Amino acid sequence: MNHQLKSQAAVLKIKNVSKAFPGVQALNNVSFSVYPGEIHALLGENGAGKSTLLKTIFGVHRPDSGTFEIDGQEVIFKSPAEAINNGIAMVHQELSLIPQMNAIQNIVLGREMMRLGTINWSEAKKRAEISLQKIGFKGNPYESVSKLSVAQQQLIEIARALSFEARILILDEPTSALTSQESNQLFEIVEKLRADNYAIIYVSHRLKEVLKICDRVTVLRDGKLITSIVRNEIQGEHDLIRHMVGRSLTEVEKPSLNTANKVEVLRVENLTIPGVVEDVSMSLYAGEIVCLAGMVGSGRTEIVRAINGADPSSTGQIYLNRKRIEIRNPRSAINYGIALLTEDRKRQGLVLHMSAASNATLPNPPGKFGFISRKKQESITAQALSLLNANFSVSKVVKELSGGTQQKVVLARWLITNSQIFIFDEPTRGIDVGAKLEIHNLMRDLATKGKVILMISSDLPEVIAVSDRVLVIRRGSLVKELVGKEITEEEVVLHATQG
Amino acid sequence: MSKNLIESNNPPVVSPRTSSSSVLRRGARQGALLIVVIMLIVYFGLLNSYFISSQNIQNILLQATIVGILGIGQTYVIITGGIDLSIGSIVATATVCSGIFSTHTSPVVAIVGGILVGVMAGLVNGLLIVTTKITPFIITLGTMGIYSGLALIISGGQAIYGIPTSFQHALAGKAFGSPVPILLFAFLTTLSVFVMKYTKFGEYLVAIGGNPEVATLAGISVRRNTAYAYVVSGSLAGLCGAILAARLGAADPNTGSDLLLVAIAATVMGGTKLAGGEGSMVGAAFGAILIATLTAGLTSLNVQAFYQKVAVGTAIILTILIDQFVKGRRR
Repeated sequence: MNHQLKSQAAVLKIKNVSKAFPGVQALNNVSFSVYPGEIHALLGENGAGKSTLLKTIFGVHRPDSGTFEIDGQEVIFKSPAEAINNGIAMVHQELSLIPQMNAIQNIVLGREMMRLGTINWSEAKKRAEISLQKIGFKGNPYESVSKLSVAQQQLIEIARALSFEARILILDEPTSALTSQESNQLFEIVEKLRADNYAIIYVSHRLKEVLKICDRVTVLRDGKLITSIVRNEIQGEHDLIRHMVGRSLTEVEKPSLNTANKVEVLRVENLTIPGVVEDVSMSLYAGEIVCLAGMVGSGRTEIVRAINGADPSSTGQIYLNRKRIEIRNPRSAINYGIALLTEDRKRQGLVLHMSAASNATLPNPPGKFGFISRKKQESITAQALSLLNANFSVSKVVKELSGGTQQKVVLARWLITNSQIFIFDEPTRGIDVGAKLEIHNLMRDLATKGKVILMISSDLPEVIAVSDRVLVIRRGSLVKELVGKEITEEEVVLHATQG
Repeated sequence: MSKNLIESNNPPVVSPRTSSSSVLRRGARQGALLIVVIMLIVYFGLLNSYFISSQNIQNILLQATIVGILGIGQTYVIITGGIDLSIGSIVATATVCSGIFSTHTSPVVAIVGGILVGVMAGLVNGLLIVTTKITPFIITLGTMGIYSGLALIISGGQAIYGIPTSFQHALAGKAFGSPVPILLFAFLTTLSVFVMKYTKFGEYLVAIGGNPEVATLAGISVRRNTAYAYVVSGSLAGLCGAILAARLGAADPNTGSDLLLVAIAATVMGGTKLAGGEGSMVGAAFGAILIATLTAGLTSLNVQAFYQKVAVGTAIILTILIDQFVKGRRR
């Protein structure tokens, strides 16, 4: 939806801003302008400088050089409080509401902290109610926010941001935790705000969304401004990707289906976890990428954990290469060649304080008689990582690596164990575009080598682009199988929600 | 591999570094501890020239031995994210048993007996912790009481005298020109550094403490390795019990109550995080030496024991504060 650009003066000008941290030039002479009444997207890979820029605007950091101008006046904020007082409000990715308090309290109290002096509660409450109404909040404003959905909490955050009389609203990854319906509602609200002449800076990895609602796009890469252009000058996602990544990347092509030589590798029958998963049966063949699609909470992760032996309460049968096997714990799953890359990399994939080499060889550290050969550990890891197009010192602690690289370390672990069956649970969540496509290519590569790939994904474009087969799970049951051309966003959503 | 599917330039290569920053940080911490020890020695030496004599340094190291060895044992346990509050009581039981053995059998049996007491105590700790889901803090709090009661029961509440000199020489005498306890301390520190760096056991402990879920998913036997950590802690405490009996020439069932907190302090000062996943054996050793230096120095100034306790406690807090400060600045 394109939007006529009004010829107004810029409300926020970023002029030649640079900021360095030890060892990295986070921002390098960045300049661009944000106008009132526009939705301005800020794009960039992880590490490109987006969050540093936002924090510098917001007063968390001080720029080394350069200035900001608000309505033509030079300002540098010494703290977020100052930024807020000057009309800039930010809704962070991790929501910052106080869970035990209700919506009204959260809004009013946020405000209270900004101004000294006494509060006129009834006045403040009225204003909060009006903000919530304007936003289209339909919940109970007097209920404690912990009982509300993420989408509603987000609305409260926006209402709170607006209650500071902000004119510039920064939204950081606002749709990462929303369903597509809730996202559409958010877009309506954001567009309404635009009509009310707010300037909205919209940070997101979801390029489709960006193209849908944004008027202008600024792309950062390696701390530098790559481009700041209006929407009509952008041809499509690949344009944005090219700016963000610096090279052309295309989504991997799906091979044409060859159903004749299908070799069954893994078969699950009557998998049941009381109350969570109901009689799920599926077959997985060598060389294909199968996706478990479904809503959050539909039981997909539980299915996959059960296959991995991590859930003792599950019942059912598992057949590996047509022979019945028992998987009692993760160790036996590993021994049978099953690799599970969990959803939350940090909590369930990596030991953050250990090196990449240690993490990658954790299931079977190389060495005899209980000793570890660090040399072998490092060379095996480096080898696996180079297959994944990652070249860095493997003795680096994984905490210091980017999300995409961390995912590669986890993947390296399972390459090293020579697994046959790779289960990916949300493999590219929170990973930037460049790394995302690399991981897709990797999965396709593994499939071509004859491995079995089972993927859980809630990212519909990813599901469509990557899967050979889609198994839709709804409320713990397998409700629909989509093959090849049948795989469309509409079909997946249809069966995932109602069927 | 995927080159025919993506047009890409070679992705940028990150220039390799030979060591990760956390190793550097830990090295810096150990270095800092050593510097503080040296500064203290110089300071006290200026006030009392005897302080710098080699005899005195040896005394300090000797004083540091028990706490140091306990600290090392505690480091294994704390790295896994747990804690062993029973080490003081294990020392008491082991010293009593070792003392009794020494009066009836050869020194070797007495030494081994003391260690075995520790092994069994540690085993009980370990099994209780991995089979029940109760936190190590509570379990070892309980066993702390049980083992100290055992020590009193076995000894009849009385100190055991008449420890034969053969035993005393064996464990508290000199070998290769240095007191045996110091040699043991040095050996155990070096051995533990090696274990953490070059054995799978050490790797597993760090993984278990850092992220037990990941460790499980990687197929590591979390229960077995965690239990082993407590066995190690217990056996080192048992060894300390034997050493104490040899040094004092008597076995006192009431030992150990002071030792626990100082041992944990040494461990924490050495850079081991109570949350687990990170730790330094050398750090624990240096921590013990620092505390021993401080105590000795204050004694040389005739500061009363009560004030010494305050000083040591303050030093512990200061170390942690400085640690926080340095970490904060790095951001």
